[in-house]
Amino acid sequence: MAGSLYEKYGGFASISRVVMSFYDRLLDSDEVGPYFDDVDMKRLIDHQTKFVASLLGGPADFSDDRLQQAHRHLNIGGADFDAMKQILGETLSEFGFEDADRDAVLGEIEARRSKIVSS
Amino acid sequence: MSIAAINEQLLRAIGAGVAILDPDDLSFRFYNQTFADWFEATEPGAAFAAVFPDLDRAAVVAALDGSGRFVAESSFRRKRRTLVIALTFTRTDAEVVLLECQNITRMRELETMIESYSSMVERNTRELQREKERVEKLLLNIMPRSVYEEYKTFGTVTPQSYEPVSVLTLDFVDFDATASEVGPAVMVSEMNDIYAAFDRIGEQFGCERIKTVGDSYVAISGLPEPMEDHAASVANAALRFVRYLQRRNDSHPHSWKCRVGLASGSVIGSVVGIQKYVYDVFGPAVNLASRLRDHAGPMEIVASGLAIETSDRDLLIHDVGEVEVPGFGRRLLQRVEGAPAITR
Repeated sequence: MAGSLYEKYGGFASISRVVMSFYDRLLDSDEVGPYFDDVDMKRLIDHQTKFVASLLGGPADFSDDRLQQAHRHLNIGGADFDAMKQILGETLSEFGFEDADRDAVLGEIEARRSKIVSS
Repeated sequence: MSIAAINEQLLRAIGAGVAILDPDDLSFRFYNQTFADWFEATEPGAAFAAVFPDLDRAAVVAALDGSGRFVAESSFRRKRRTLVIALTFTRTDAEVVLLECQNITRMRELETMIESYSSMVERNTRELQREKERVEKLLLNIMPRSVYEEYKTFGTVTPQSYEPVSVLTLDFVDFDATASEVGPAVMVSEMNDIYAAFDRIGEQFGCERIKTVGDSYVAISGLPEPMEDHAASVANAALRFVRYLQRRNDSHPHSWKCRVGLASGSVIGSVVGIQKYVYDVFGPAVNLASRLRDHAGPMEIVASGLAIETSDRDLLIHDVGEVEVPGFGRRLLQRVEGAPAITR
């Protein structure tokens, strides 16, 4: 994990704030929020903690299969995926991520588009 | 403005939910705006069950009559969020029941996140531990444990002289011809099988395999821990190697014949190399054992100057005359054979 973005931006102590803020923004978003209407809080936070950690090279092994399984039944469209990506980008910028690092994280998530988007 | 009015305004303004209940029937006499927002209340005078349908009113009453206090949690969905509110009912001196409500949603969310993070870290720690054990096992395959402990503690290994020890070297007659006949895949599998058996046999007799290079197998007794009967140990192991091959040849399509050389003396053991390191032994006993091996016929064990107690009834040692051994002058060679009981 040495040299990962997870370490660079302060490990769990800082990344936990990123995850919390990302969670708040997603739930508050009119576009993406409705997907979480019936999602259990514990499951969602557990998922996001691990997912963000794995995007940043932190201590998580979040397989693409698992990602696909978690989103399959939600029928997420491409536009909503873009909205989620934008929210993540804004969150990272707010927490002081350099542009290049933010783009690298967004690149990681873009690479998993097909696992999240259903249609 | 009266003090009572100021108090009421304060109660209405604070971020915590506050309600005042009738002690007799727990109906609501007053609640502030925060409480109203959370519990979508209700008119003053509302019944307890209407606001908290999931709470057992009898239990609340019993606790208030007893300790004067009742604590609970209420969680509900509000715009796709699960709100968690901590409720504390207190019977006050003024003969009212005060209900304080704190929003502990964020606390619960953070607890969940820490739980999730801990499980990831614990899993990683377990994986690291398993990886460490795998690495340790690999390193213990190439060096004795005491040497490994030194390497782990200091990062280097000091070359160490061991004396007396006995060295066993073994190779196979016509190895190259047989190897090319059976092909590399079969050859590797055959060697793997045979060397694994040798390792097991050696272990029984206190010999440790140091290395194999192609068809050459080197094991030592008396290293790293001194061993009193090191010579008998290599001789006994060598006899069982031969016996194992004889039996194996009887039942396998490929036949292997070995030659064994045994010698006692001193060796120096050390880790060699920096990136690609191996544990190796050097010294006259290693060289002599390998020269003696060249004097052995198929399935024969040749030694020189082995200090073996004649009381070891498994072993028969015959002198076979002196020969010139390069680097060691004239040496009296001995052939080691098994007593009838173990050659059968």
